[in-house]
Amino acid sequence: MSGAKFTEEVIRLAGEEIRTCIQCGTCSSSCSTAHLMDNSIRKLIRLVLDGRKIEALASDSIWLCTSCLLCTVRCPRGIRPKAVVSALRQICEREGIRSRDASFERIFMDQIRSMGRISEVLLSAAYALRNPDAAVPIMEMGIELLSRGKVSLDPGSVKGMDEIERIFREFENE
Amino acid sequence: MDPSERPMRIGVYICHCGLNIAATLDVEELRRFAEMLPNVVVARDIQFTCSDAGQNTIKSDIAELKLDAIVVAACSPRLHEPTFRRTITEAGLNQYMLEMANIREQCSWVHMDSPALATQKAKDLIAMAVAKAALLHPLETESMPVSRDVLVIGGGVAGISAALDLANAGLRVYLVERRPTIGGYMALLTDVFPTNDCSICVLAPKMAEVYANPMIKLMTYSEILAIEGTVGHFRVTGVTKPRYVDPTLCKGCINECSSACPVEVPNEYDFGLGKRKAIYMAIPQSVPLVACIDTNACIGCGLCAEACPADAVKYDQQSEEFKLDVGAIIVATGWQPFDASRKEEYGFGRYRDVVTTLQIERMLNAAGPTRGDVVRPSTGEIARSVAFIQCVGSRDQTVGNPYCSRICCMASLKNAQLIKERYPDADVSIHYIDIRAGGEGYEEFYLRAQRLGINFIRGRVSSVEEGDDGLYVHYEDTLLGKTLMKRYDLVVLSTGLEANSDAEVVGNLLGLSRRPDRFFEIAHPKMRPVEAHIDGVFIAGCASGPKEIQVSIAQGSAAASKAMQLLFKGEIELDPTVAFVDREKCIGCRLCVDTCPSRAISVKDTAFVDEARCKGCGTCSAACPVDAIEMRLFSDEQILAQIRAATAVKGEYPFIVGFLCNWCSYAGADLAGTSRIQYPTNIRIIRVMCAGRVDPSFVLEALRRGADGVLIAGCRIGECHYVSGNLHALQRVEVLKGLLKEIGIDPRRLKVAWCAASEGDILARKIEEFVEELRDLGPVGTELAAALPSGKV
Ligand SMILES: Cc1cc2nc3c(=O)[nH]c(=O)nc-3n(C[C@H](O)[C@H](O)[C@H](O)COP(=O)(O)OP(=O)(O)OC[C@H]3O[C@@H](n4cnc5c(N)ncnc54)[C@H](O)[C@@H]3O)c2cc1C
Ligand code: SF4
Ligand code: SF4
Repeated sequence: MSGAKFTEEVIRLAGEEIRTCIQCGTCSSSCSTAHLMDNSIRKLIRLVLDGRKIEALASDSIWLCTSCLLCTVRCPRGIRPKAVVSALRQICEREGIRSRDASFERIFMDQIRSMGRISEVLLSAAYALRNPDAAVPIMEMGIELLSRGKVSLDPGSVKGMDEIERIFREFENE
Repeated sequence: MDPSERPMRIGVYICHCGLNIAATLDVEELRRFAEMLPNVVVARDIQFTCSDAGQNTIKSDIAELKLDAIVVAACSPRLHEPTFRRTITEAGLNQYMLEMANIREQCSWVHMDSPALATQKAKDLIAMAVAKAALLHPLETESMPVSRDVLVIGGGVAGISAALDLANAGLRVYLVERRPTIGGYMALLTDVFPTNDCSICVLAPKMAEVYANPMIKLMTYSEILAIEGTVGHFRVTGVTKPRYVDPTLCKGCINECSSACPVEVPNEYDFGLGKRKAIYMAIPQSVPLVACIDTNACIGCGLCAEACPADAVKYDQQSEEFKLDVGAIIVATGWQPFDASRKEEYGFGRYRDVVTTLQIERMLNAAGPTRGDVVRPSTGEIARSVAFIQCVGSRDQTVGNPYCSRICCMASLKNAQLIKERYPDADVSIHYIDIRAGGEGYEEFYLRAQRLGINFIRGRVSSVEEGDDGLYVHYEDTLLGKTLMKRYDLVVLSTGLEANSDAEVVGNLLGLSRRPDRFFEIAHPKMRPVEAHIDGVFIAGCASGPKEIQVSIAQGSAAASKAMQLLFKGEIELDPTVAFVDREKCIGCRLCVDTCPSRAISVKDTAFVDEARCKGCGTCSAACPVDAIEMRLFSDEQILAQIRAATAVKGEYPFIVGFLCNWCSYAGADLAGTSRIQYPTNIRIIRVMCAGRVDPSFVLEALRRGADGVLIAGCRIGECHYVSGNLHALQRVEVLKGLLKEIGIDPRRLKVAWCAASEGDILARKIEEFVEELRDLGPVGTELAAALPSGKV
């Protein structure tokens, strides 16, 4: 896909209005996870309009959006920045591009498959093991949360594990 | 013999235009052809018909051959119709006894490679013009005496400048203002850009001049109730509300009465920051300098009456009705501020230290509620850090205002400078999307603000939050690419300008149209900046959209000068090329009333066209279901005669009859000519004033007479010279297409095209396309033959 084609594809998925972006940043400054993003939502739109596909798809901002839609409610041009994020996710999916931090997703899905739900404690521990950089802050936060009784060590059990396994199988066969 | 009893005698003059026409068309053949046409007494070819020699030939023929009507086959009537009308008037004919065949712009110049077909087309065009000429009637231009008085509605800076210019030129002016004082918003501002001179200091002398000028009758605290009549004679009814203070007795001291008054209310002239009494003076410089009692606040205690040394307070004062007869009306009703509380995320109305620009203007004003101090309303302390948030309620689709309010960037640059000058240590930031400083001296003004150390932060603020120690503003600095938060003592919302809801009644009474941004629409967005769609009505200042003081003043003067042009002679000439109603035929269905874009038609039993209002578009005539409305020029009879003449020979296939509106598509076809854009010869163009003039019977007649296709072309949608004529045309075409289908004719034989006068190429391409489409469809009637089992028609 050329740069121009990429732009057209995102516009097709997320709406014509994108062309009218005035780069005001209302979306980014409304965004609750903006401080974690490498490229702000505003900049993501600029990258799309300039056909900078590789930069746009490599941006971890795509995976940090929580879909709160505040950007979409406030954009003065009637653009749906969230729809741009969804479009980029869709294109990533199609082209097999994973978030830089795909290990998290894998651990997450493995736990669901084996336990039917996730345990914050086990999830964080498994993630910390694979990402030593993140280990210290995760442990600090974990101790604080445990001490306040906000998380529990017992993941609890779930009914219908066979159903869950069936869903996973079906997905794999597709 | 009475000329009306003998057959019409027509002279035809075919122009060579040097080689412009003669190089492509066989002029001698055209002349011989014209000579044989019915009613034609003489046909000549002339080198340059518009030259003195050419014109003299026409004049002497009129005298010697007793001609009744003249056909000039030459360039576009849009170019030389006025010339030849003058020529024939000089020879004693009525100016409307002229018809032109456009054989240059719409023939020789656009068919340079097909001389034979072009000559055949020119023959048709001449035959069409002769057929129409035989049905022309002399039309008399009547003049009507008018009132030379002018009504100005709204006493802001725009209305004031209009009133003063008119009065100084010797016209009587009625200036009606709904508030107790004139001056509008300008009277409330602090220093004003781009010079930063004190606003009221430059305005007050003008306000006083209005009061003193004997030619101006000032009516404050007054409203318009009804407007009837048309240009030259608008009959206006209004009312002056009671102030409960006798203006002839009040000395304007205000202190005596207002200090006695026990009631305090928020002062609307300080935008709620300060307080005023129930008996009050809007501003110290009020004109007239007369107190006013706010009946919503007054408790009727009578203390002010006791306190007034001049005995001016009159509780029994009544409202007074007035009636005016004016020739023209200037609407200068101004604007209203965007309601900042609609942008909830900015906290206006919730957080006391979030204020609007108008409030900061009042704070900065030495006569304002804080005597010039910039304070945090919550504590009364001087604000040490101030944020201006731009585009609040402007450029924002979430509140339905996609437009730029044009003055707020400059207003914030100004107020930021004033704060910085007064408090050099203050931290002053402007949060902006784009700084719009387009105007003489404006960029320099921006530069000055930057040099003063004002912090310009590019990025629209998403929200304001109140913390323990001040206000927190959230934004992305889009140039740094960082989402940030900054603390301020005071946040100023740069609220935009909206259409004034106080002007709604006046707008409805006058029938003014509104743009999508809700401001009053001017007759042409560029070429006619102060004219309304209604004759004799002008619009000045912010009533037609946000603008600064300088432009508001210029528009006030422009509107005044337009009104002077109209009324100075004391009479106006009425264009006779208007619609009229055959009262025998009219069934009073009112269809025409709604189609007329000039609101010229009223119905009492039968319809009546106000000729002073009618602009001659002919949309009503096409809409009338019983053909009761006729046009004095471009009549049904004349147009049908042109259609019949056009289709008499049908020298080529496919054959198209086109109806082109005078203003855009006919002009566009002329432009195609001047640009030598070539297109097929297959079309015969009939000029109409508006696409809305095209009666369904014209289309049916053309097809019945064997035209393979009919083209209706008009101005681009939204740009109709008569506002909505092309929309009516479009609706009619939709219906007509259904009808064609029913009678077995392919609806694709009827085509519409919208183009601007600058789009000759687009029109040429549309004609080309249509020829191709019709070629695919086959000759008209093919579809009928195909529908019959025997294959016979
Ligand atoms: C915060 C701010 C700061 C500004 N600063 C500057 C500046 O520094 N320099 C500059 O050039 N411009 C400035 N402007 C713009 C300026 O205010 C306008 O250009 C100016 O007010 C336009 O004048 P106007 O006469 O068109 O309208 P207005 O001032 O709105 O006057 C209209 C008048 O018509 C009256 N009216 C309304 N309806 C009716 C009715 N139905 N019947 C009778 N009367 C009616 C109103 O009461 C009012 O008196 C500023 C604007 C704002 C918002
Ligand atoms: S809020 Fe809308 S206009 Fe502003 S940067 Fe984001 S998408 Fe563009
Ligand atoms: S003038 Fe400036 S602040 Fe006002 S709407 Fe336009 S861009 Fe926004």
